[in-house]
Amino acid sequence: MSEVLAIRDLCLRFRGYSGVSEVLHGISLDIRAGERVALVGESGSGKSVTARIVLGLLQELPSAQVEGGLFFEGEDLNRLSRRQWQALRGTSISMIFQDPTSSLNPVFTIGTQFAEVLRRRDPGLSREAADERAGTLLQSVSIHDHARVLGAYPFQLSGGMNQRVVIAMALANHPSLLIADEPGTALDVTVQAKTLKLMHELVEQSGTAVFFISHNLGVVREFADRVFVIYRGRIVEQGPTPAIFEDPGHAYTRALMAAVPRITGGGLPDLNDSETAFLEPMVVHEGGDA
Amino acid sequence: MTPLLSLRQVSKTFGTGPRAVDAVRNVSFDVTHGECLAVVGESGSGKTTLANMILGVFGQSSGEILFDGKGLPTRRTLEHRSAIQLVQQNPLSSLNPKRSVGASIRLGLDVFGIGTRSDRWRLVEDALEEVGLPGDFRRRPPAALSGGQCQRVAIARALACQSRLVILDEPTSALDVLVQARVLRLLEDLRRDKGLSYVFITHDLSVVRNVADRVAVFREGELVECAETRAIFEDPKVDYTRQLIGAVPVISDDELKLRESLSGGLPA
Ligand SMILES: Nc1ncnc2c1ncn2[C@@H]1O[C@H](COP(=O)(O)OP(=O)(O)OP(=O)(O)O)[C@@H](O)[C@H]1O
Ligand SMILES: Nc1ncnc2c1ncn2[C@@H]1O[C@H](COP(=O)(O)OP(=O)(O)OP(=O)(O)O)[C@@H](O)[C@H]1O
Ligand SMILES: [Mg+2]
Ligand SMILES: [Mg+2]
Repeated sequence: MSEVLAIRDLCLRFRGYSGVSEVLHGISLDIRAGERVALVGESGSGKSVTARIVLGLLQELPSAQVEGGLFFEGEDLNRLSRRQWQALRGTSISMIFQDPTSSLNPVFTIGTQFAEVLRRRDPGLSREAADERAGTLLQSVSIHDHARVLGAYPFQLSGGMNQRVVIAMALANHPSLLIADEPGTALDVTVQAKTLKLMHELVEQSGTAVFFISHNLGVVREFADRVFVIYRGRIVEQGPTPAIFEDPGHAYTRALMAAVPRITGGGLPDLNDSETAFLEPMVVHEGGDA
Repeated sequence: MTPLLSLRQVSKTFGTGPRAVDAVRNVSFDVTHGECLAVVGESGSGKTTLANMILGVFGQSSGEILFDGKGLPTRRTLEHRSAIQLVQQNPLSSLNPKRSVGASIRLGLDVFGIGTRSDRWRLVEDALEEVGLPGDFRRRPPAALSGGQCQRVAIARALACQSRLVILDEPTSALDVLVQARVLRLLEDLRRDKGLSYVFITHDLSVVRNVADRVAVFREGELVECAETRAIFEDPKVDYTRQLIGAVPVISDDELKLRESLSGGLPA
């Protein structure tokens, strides 16, 4: 099957007052149509910046220095003009950002922002038609009083309601690639399960590829086909989801698994992480990528 | 003993007329000294609204909130403001990016008049050390810290203010599980050593299982079940609680078994 997204040897440096900091040290990763790939790992290891690079957002920052290959549906993204890249965002590639409230504009109602999103694909759409489509989409993420929500400003909604609005917007235009950065953190587990199911259906029906970033390993185990584990800007382990969970090979992956709190209880996990072991070379599980 | 915090029939309605939203309806519960009460439930069920009323961000529409047995006025005294502190989900956005983290912590000390002027930088460093950060971190801006370190700073800020009740609104959901485990350990140690009480708002029931003494389950603005943690997980009385536990994403077969026994084989 063809790759929807291919990242080759991606490096990222930030230049700041205190010199240069290296954030990504050669990340390679690919996602095929209809595949759900999760990126998990340390806070600050470079997950969100990787997503922002795929969207072409970080490249606009003067202090960021990005190198490496980026291919979307076979096309070399690095050869696109800013304008062409921008045109992909919100249509063929859509993104659910980590902080839902900051990705909504505080001074416009949800209805106005939703119409703007739908018009990116469908420029002539009337406001009535937009509200109707938005209402249906909101219903699918378990927002039932959609008339109130469409008329509300983000501050009038709870964190989880805003997050669901952002998810509904990201699914609206049937993207070929959906990048979801911590899409479930502000949701209760029943709504989270429904939302995952919705993303799952999108994958099945439209062959959307999902690039999924999460700290919740339970969600990753239930949702992803393949997993990449990142530590300090390097991929330390990759493979099909069952292999990663049943037979974690890298010291960092094992430490992560051991730190997951269990619903069966037993108290907080013991931490005896030796950070030197986390710097061992990458472990690759074969399968799932042929 | 008088509970540290008591809510008596507390309600909150936003707006009026047909557009009114009953965010919190007739909620009553206590938090005792040194207790960790978890608040879980549906998204939009009024958990953050409840926290805002306890903090005095806005008043309740009806009912009473008691602290140490005395009614809390909507306009809080400095003493109340320092005794009840908040640690939010997003550590970066809750710290001022233009200030060093030390200055952010010190601001509370200045406002609440804690310590003498010449003492305060030392108090800031003590608070940082208490959360396991070197004292000289106080000079750093938030952008130079990782997510977990920022969350420690937010906790240090609450500590430095000599708080007695800390409201934790998703304090670890933005952190990886290793950092989460360290922050939760730290919170446990501080609770034991300083006799702090927590209202721990979260969607992460696996965390709740391992840190809370009691759990309050909310749905549509109402408190539907409140019981000891073990009882909530092993013998929930309310269907909604069952549904919640039955939908927790898990990583091991033992947990799957517990989940299935509760949901009665319902698909998650
Ligand atoms: N604009 C920026 N300028 C300088 N450094 C930055 C910038 N954006 C991110 N960084 C740094 O890059 C590193 C990676 O950040 P990133 O946001 O990708 O982490 P993450 O893996 O998404 O972490 P989390 O799980 O906490 O969201 C961090 O150390 C961060 O401080
Ligand atoms: N300032 C406001 N004006 C009007 N309605 C509001 C306001 N703040 C909250 N609400 C409404 O009150 C209800 C409860 O919101 P709240 O933020 O307390 O939920 P929550 O339980 O914290 O949810 P989450 O788990 O998603 O964070 C929601 O229906 C929300 O839309
Ligand atoms: Mg991130
Ligand atoms: Mg909330």
